[in-house]
Order: sequence, then C-alpha cells, then structure tokens
Amino acid sequence: MSTLLALVIVLAILMTVVGGETGIRSFFSVLINTFLLILVAMLISWGVSIPIVTVIFIPLKLATIIYLGTHDYTVAKNSFLAAFIVCLLVGLLILGCQWLAQAAGLGPEAGEVLVGLSQMPGISYPLIAVTVAIFSTLGAVAEAAVAMSSGLLELKKHNPLITPLELEKSGTSIGKDVLGTAMNTILFGMFGSFLSLFLWYFRLGYSFGEVVNEKLFVNEALIIMYSLIGVLLTVPLATVLISRSMIKNEAKK
Amino acid sequence: MILKQKRFWWALGVLLLGSILTAVTYFATDIYQKDEVALVTDHQIEDRLIENNRDVYNNYDQTREQILHLQILSGKQKGKTYTVKNVYYPSQLVTEKYRPRQRVFVSLKKGSLALVNPKRDWVLVLTLTITLALMVLVAGKHSLLLILSMALSWLIFYGVIVLDVKLNGTQIILVFGLADIIFSFVSLLIVQGWNRKMLATWVATLLGVFVSFGLAFLIMQLTGQSEMKYETGDYATQDPRGIFLAQTLLGVLGAVMDEATDIVSSLYEIVQQKPHITAKELMKSGRTMGQEIMGPLINVLVLIFMAEALPMTILYLRDNNTLGSAFGFTLSLGATQSTISAISIVLTVIFATGCSLWFLKVQKSGEKK
Repeated sequence: MSTLLALVIVLAILMTVVGGETGIRSFFSVLINTFLLILVAMLISWGVSIPIVTVIFIPLKLATIIYLGTHDYTVAKNSFLAAFIVCLLVGLLILGCQWLAQAAGLGPEAGEVLVGLSQMPGISYPLIAVTVAIFSTLGAVAEAAVAMSSGLLELKKHNPLITPLELEKSGTSIGKDVLGTAMNTILFGMFGSFLSLFLWYFRLGYSFGEVVNEKLFVNEALIIMYSLIGVLLTVPLATVLISRSMIKNEAKK
Repeated sequence: MILKQKRFWWALGVLLLGSILTAVTYFATDIYQKDEVALVTDHQIEDRLIENNRDVYNNYDQTREQILHLQILSGKQKGKTYTVKNVYYPSQLVTEKYRPRQRVFVSLKKGSLALVNPKRDWVLVLTLTITLALMVLVAGKHSLLLILSMALSWLIFYGVIVLDVKLNGTQIILVFGLADIIFSFVSLLIVQGWNRKMLATWVATLLGVFVSFGLAFLIMQLTGQSEMKYETGDYATQDPRGIFLAQTLLGVLGAVMDEATDIVSSLYEIVQQKPHITAKELMKSGRTMGQEIMGPLINVLVLIFMAEALPMTILYLRDNNTLGSAFGFTLSLGATQSTISAISIVLTVIFATGCSLWFLKVQKSGEKK
C-alpha cells in the first residue's frame, strides 16, 4: 500500500472517531476540495480560459469548504456570502499587485527542473499566478468567515435581545480572536511550504536585496499578505452581513 | 460599522508613512550589494516577433524580442546608457517581458550588460502598507501584538535556517523539532502572557505536533515509504527527505497552535463561568468545538500546500503526461504533507480538551482548601 493512501485511511478513521458525523463531512469536504484543485489544473492545461475557470471555481470551492464543514444553515449562508464578496475583492487586489510585481512563472532553479519539459507551454503564466494566489487565499478567508459568523450567531443565541449595534461592537472583539487564529496558520503554513526555497537562498549566498526582489520570494510574501488582507476584510463584512440580516428578520416580524 | 475615530487616524498615518516608504524603495538605487539598478528609458518598447513555435507536445508559443534602452542609475557606471535585446516567450514561464519606464536590476561585467530581474521590492512594501493599515483599522491596539509576534516569527525562522545550514542539515529533524518548541512558546507567551492557560495551550500544541508526527513517521516506516518521491521536492540543497520532514513539522505548527488556543481558551472560559461542570461535560464541549474547527483549518493548509504546486502540475499535464505521473511528480509530496498536518489537527482536539481538564482539577483542589 502506498504511504499516502495509508495516511489518508488513518486520517479518515481519526476524523470519524473524533468528529462523528461532522468529522465525516469535513473529511469529504477536504477530499472534494483536493479533487477540485486537480480539476482546475486539468482544465487549464486543456486550454480552457484561465479567468473563467477561476471565477467558476471560487464559489465551488467556497461552497465545499463552508457548506460541508458547518452544520448550521444560517452560519453557512452568511459565511458563504461574506467569503465570496471578500474573495472577489481580494481577487481584484491580487490582479493589480501581481501585475505590478511581475512575479509569475518558475524560479531560478527552473533549468534543472525543466529538463524534458516544455519551456514554451503556450499558456499565460502571469494569469496562472493570479489563480494560484486566489486559491491559496481562499481557505483562510472561508475559515475566518465561518468563525466570525458562528461566533456572532452563538452570541445572539445566548442573548436574543442584543441590538445590531451591540452585535457590531462584539464583532470587533471576536474579530481579534479570529485574526490571531488565522495569522499563525497562514504564516507557518507558508514557512512550511517554502522552507527548501529559503535554504536554497541561504546556501547560495543571496543578499537581502536579492531575496526581496526574487520572483518566488516575492510571490510567497505577497500570498501571505493577500491572505491576511482577506481575513481582515472578512471580519467587518461578516459582522455587517449578520446585523443586516437581523434587522431584516425583525422587520418581517 | 462603528469606526473609532482614533483608530481611523492611526490607520491613515500608517498608510501615509507606508506610501512614503514605498516611494523611497521604488526610487532606491545605491542600497543593493550585487547588481546595479537601471531604468528602461523607452516610452514604447520595440517588440518584434522572431518566430512562431510549436513544440513536440503541440503547444503553440512565440519567440519575441524586445529592444530595451537602459540608463544605469547606480554604481560606477551611473548615467551610462546601454541597448540590450531581451528574448521572451509570451507565456513567461521562465522568461520575462519588460515594460516601458520600468526600473530593473542588471549585472555589469566587462562592459556587457545582462538583465537580472525587474525591481519588485517596492510592491512588497506597498502590499505590507495596505495590510498593516487594514490591521490597525480592524484590530486597533491589538495589532501591535500581532505585528510583534509576526516579526519575531520571521526572526526565529531566520535563526533556525542559519543553525540548520551551520549543522549542514545533519540534524534537521532535531533542529526543526526544537524550533517548534521555541516558536510556540514565544508566540503563545506574547499573545497570552505567562499563565496556566498559556501552559496548557503550549503542552497541547506540542503533543498535537509531535504525537501525530511520530504516528505519521511510524506509518511511513511500516509502508516502506512507498511512492514517496522525496526527490521531486523543489530546491533541494540537502537531503530531500529531511527537508520534507522539517517542512511538515514547521507547516503544521501554526494551525495546531491556533486550534489549541481556540479550544483551551473557550474551555477555560466555561470552567470560569460554570465551576461545577463535570469532566464529561467539559470533554463534550471540547469535542463539539473541535468538530467545527477542524474541517476549515485542514482546508486552509491543503490549499496552501497544494496550490503552490499548481503551475508545475499544469506544465506536466500540458506536456502530455498522464494525470497519475503529473500527480506523482508535483502534487504527491504536498498531498502527503497535507494529510500528516490534517492528522495533527484532528489529534489536537483530543489533546487540547485533555489539557483543559487540568483547569477543572485546579479549580476543585482550590475549593477543598
């Protein structure tokens, strides 16, 4: 049996034991999410327009993460809306910053990796870089949106008479926790993802000035910041959406 | 949204300062050690088609050539002008298309000039400015702590890399295991201060990381590490298996730490509010919380670890490789790393809840006295 398969089976067992029904659903959301990513790679390699694939897969991936990961429908609906709006906003920012940074494609080691591979694949790598950045950010945004919405609705459950104004105030304090939570996950995730690259810079004696202008480092640092910006935008937006829907519900009554 | 006036002005201040720094970085010329800075003086770059290409995989691309006029802005040859040809392919996988009026790095050797990189550092400063201004706006004073902890993380990260290179990568698992212990201690100390809650979180974090790492290691040994293509890891300057294990240890730490913080802090609140809660009830609360958190957290890491490999995967598929071999060469290491991390995240639910039981014990022994 391959190691990966064995690990996945252990994970499935653990998630079922610890998580119960929610755990099983989460397991499938992770699995589907991975397949969607592979599907994106396939579609782009077949020459389907990259912007269209990206725009279609943003809501698909958000829905997989949010609707399968949470069991409260109100939380899910609100988080999905907040996360989707934030992803579109951050997507625009990414488009602008990636254009300015010109950091697409493969890095300095390319020659070695590319033996036997085409260097002229005929698809736009600057656009692929934008897609990669958006997808890397998406997970953090979805997580923050779910944490914000469930935190606020929990508050409302315990204190049904809370006014929208008070709710927005609590939103700020819940937001701080959510922010703290997201930050380490993003930062260390990226450290873990690019450790070999940092070792490479260090061993080959890159100077600080070179590193901060180097394609792959710039790309990575930018993705960390896009993710943080995404989480930062999610905090107020999720709060506003929840208090809006509260006002609407009250008007109905 | 109610914005506190003061916060707004601080954010504006950060934005202003950041814009100035961005401009300074953009125009900086003499601070770089190795290469010289040059300006593309053309307002419109001459760009001509050399040939249309079709490679063996039936990919259509072009070879194009730009003629750039450059003015050197730094170093001994300041003010000199050069004309240089830049060949690029529009897909820009390994080549670069330059833009009018752009600042670039060039290396000058014996009168000849070679293009190195576009100048990119100012974009980092610009994005950092936006991030920090938003952070001040949303989190207020709290953002100081967040920034401090983030800066320290980068610093320790740098230190760990120096140490690893000094040991020549021989003790890589030990070095990064130790790094995990220090990272989590410092980070939790800054955010929570020195108290019982912080200690419980710290212990839960370490258990979550190391127990699952041990478990994963065991599984890898039992299955003989079959189909583990360590050599496909990028930029391997030392033993690729060691690098993979170190990356896994480091990559999961943040998520586990954040998850443990969430669960332990909430359970601590519950014990404070309901001192007579039973151990069983507390464990149930911990489990419910864990169930909610683990799915989204795992997805965050999966996306970070796998999206990074997307450009390479697309290239492999583009070159008529089968899905299986493309996956094996580009995604399988990321998928393995994601799975090990996911196991850590699930196990942390148990450890964080277990460590919180300690509060209950302390509470009870306090009452007896």
